[in-house]
Amino acid sequence: LESYGDIAMGKFMKSGKVVLVLGGRFSGRKAVIVKNYDEGTTDKPYGHALVAGIDRYPRKVTRSMGKKKLKQRSKVKSFVKVYNFNHLMPTRSVFKGKLNLLMLYFLFIVGS
Amino acid sequence: MAPKKSKKQSDNVNARLGMVMKSGKYCLGYKQTLKSLRTGKAKLVIISNNTPAIRKSEVEYYALLSKTGVHEYNGSNIELGTACGKYFRVGVLAVIDQGDSDIISAMSTEQQ
Repeated sequence: LESYGDIAMGKFMKSGKVVLVLGGRFSGRKAVIVKNYDEGTTDKPYGHALVAGIDRYPRKVTRSMGKKKLKQRSKVKSFVKVYNFNHLMPTRSVFKGKLNLLMLYFLFIVGS
Repeated sequence: MAPKKSKKQSDNVNARLGMVMKSGKYCLGYKQTLKSLRTGKAKLVIISNNTPAIRKSEVEYYALLSKTGVHEYNGSNIELGTACGKYFRVGVLAVIDQGDSDIISAMSTEQQ
């Protein structure tokens, strides 16, 4: 890896990266890269990533609300989608929890 | 604020850019520079002084994430295109392989 000074160039579209979705139904939503395909595949010959993100954000909650209302308003609806890197805006944040596809499968597909 | 660049310094950049065009690898244009930044291939990014602020900050942000240096070219996209020896305008460019030039090390020492 060629580097100048003490800095090395780096790929940053990696699993765990928090990104913003730039287009489509979920544009403006925050998502996390679960799996990235930098070189693409035969089906998708471009850099793309599987992301899991927030479809419906939890609503604002105040102190005066009861437990039941709190629970309803704290619900989060999620989505899983494959995006071209061009349609994602990376951020500096990184999600440090465990991200694996098997977990996603059970949470999202089986649970819905 | 950065000190005002003398004519001699800007000539240096042009000369070094010319060398990169001859012997090195580069990407001209916004889309390709973002691609090269995402894959970590870009070693230096040069932005002309009349690129719109939002595009400039987006490219700088990508460069920040990939720890790539950014050089603000002392000229417009027309002048940067001429410096690259092209007959079209160049707003943003990325140096992937500097070849026989020393543009990357020269830019990093200048910033320090």
